[in-house]
Amino acid sequence: MSDTRQLDHGTPPERFARGWHCLGLADSFRDGKPHGVEAFGGKLVVWADSTGEIHVLDGYCRHMGGDLTQGEVKGDQVACPFHDWRWGGDGKCKQIPYARRVPLRARTQRYPVAIRNDQVLIWHDVEGSEPDLDILPPELPGLAEGEYTDWVWESEHIVGSHCRELIDNVVDMAHFYYVHFAFPTSFRNIFEGTQATQFMESKGRPDKSGGYGDAELFLKSEATYYGPAYMINWLDTDYKGFNTEVVLFNCHLPTGPDSFLLQYGITVKKPEGLDDKTANFIAKKYAQMFGEGFLQDVHIWKNKVPVQNPLLCEEDGPVYQLRRWYEQFYVDRADIAPEMVDRFEFEVDTTKANEFWQDEVADNLAKKAAEDSATADV
Amino acid sequence: MPSFVPTSPDTLEDQRLYTSARLVDVACLDCLAEVGVKKNSEHHTSIQWTAEARAHCPELSRRTGGRESHPACPRMIASIEAATRAGRIPIGAEDGY
Repeated sequence: MSDTRQLDHGTPPERFARGWHCLGLADSFRDGKPHGVEAFGGKLVVWADSTGEIHVLDGYCRHMGGDLTQGEVKGDQVACPFHDWRWGGDGKCKQIPYARRVPLRARTQRYPVAIRNDQVLIWHDVEGSEPDLDILPPELPGLAEGEYTDWVWESEHIVGSHCRELIDNVVDMAHFYYVHFAFPTSFRNIFEGTQATQFMESKGRPDKSGGYGDAELFLKSEATYYGPAYMINWLDTDYKGFNTEVVLFNCHLPTGPDSFLLQYGITVKKPEGLDDKTANFIAKKYAQMFGEGFLQDVHIWKNKVPVQNPLLCEEDGPVYQLRRWYEQFYVDRADIAPEMVDRFEFEVDTTKANEFWQDEVADNLAKKAAEDSATADV
Repeated sequence: MPSFVPTSPDTLEDQRLYTSARLVDVACLDCLAEVGVKKNSEHHTSIQWTAEARAHCPELSRRTGGRESHPACPRMIASIEAATRAGRIPIGAEDGY
């Protein structure tokens, strides 16, 4: 039938996004060993030199393809386990101990590194451009001064989904109710340049537990993507009248055409008058909550299909504009169209959704009360 | 270099409907900025800027970046509200877009 709506699965991009990608907490690489990180369809080697500076190269030796991540750190260099070729952080082979000289062409793929918010960020661009330092994500003020708790840092391998599924959440107002058990009362987006922001105010659903479900939890959230893969989410939380400033870092690293490593880190501004142990406990609790939230998303992603032509209703967010913004990272710089980066603002009307959801939650609570009293009667 | 490529021509029409259809030009009452506006309801607003409009807006230009550059320009919001009150912006969605 011609008026039947068809899903257009589209074809995924043939490249990985241009921009800064987070590999994890810097200190986790400072143990004197080379680390392997799957990324961009291959493997990277990450190590710290004698001064603690972190370097990132392609994981495979340009000599005979040895796996550098299984080698050793010798001095400031990473040494291949196969023939001991020594690679420096600048991507050049510095020494071949058994050879008279090093071939001039012994240069490997190096990824420029920046440390932001205690994390290792690397620049990726298939066009091989110089790293764009102007679009690095901001440093969290007060982090270096010890105003925040220790990091809770988690990672999760996602297989079978393109990372754009994760990006779509920026505009997806209604999924917060259905998937995460939060109740958005206000929802806005602003996209401009390499940044995409979501402003949301929400309360927990009293008829659900898990995820963000909790009648006494109020969130005021501002989440900005700095480039394609690094989001900072400032959350003013109010739990039973206790206010906490939580910062959630949500980043991902594409590993293949339909797989990515999702990483998230939580830190909490130490509330005045609370000892560090209690503050760290609060951070763990919030990390657990957002961790559950991500797993709720993952369950959806694992079972859904890609869709290039989502059908929207009036209460949906600007999916098409968000994807237009996201596309700038997948085309050559010369091909970035003005509308991909022009400022765009959107406010979702949550009125109708809120009316319906209030009623649904009340119904669910009434049903549950009836079931509970029936059980009590037995 | 292709990126996310639709496999159906109808998808291109969807892209047009959702991103550029029914945008009404609204000029700022205080500066030379002119944006495209769509209102699916009283509460909903979609605002499309251009680089030219953005350069004209002194409020947004004053902001130095970081978190403070995100919120909307209050003068533009007021201008859109005035245009809405004057009946210049039709309110209501057409089949969801």
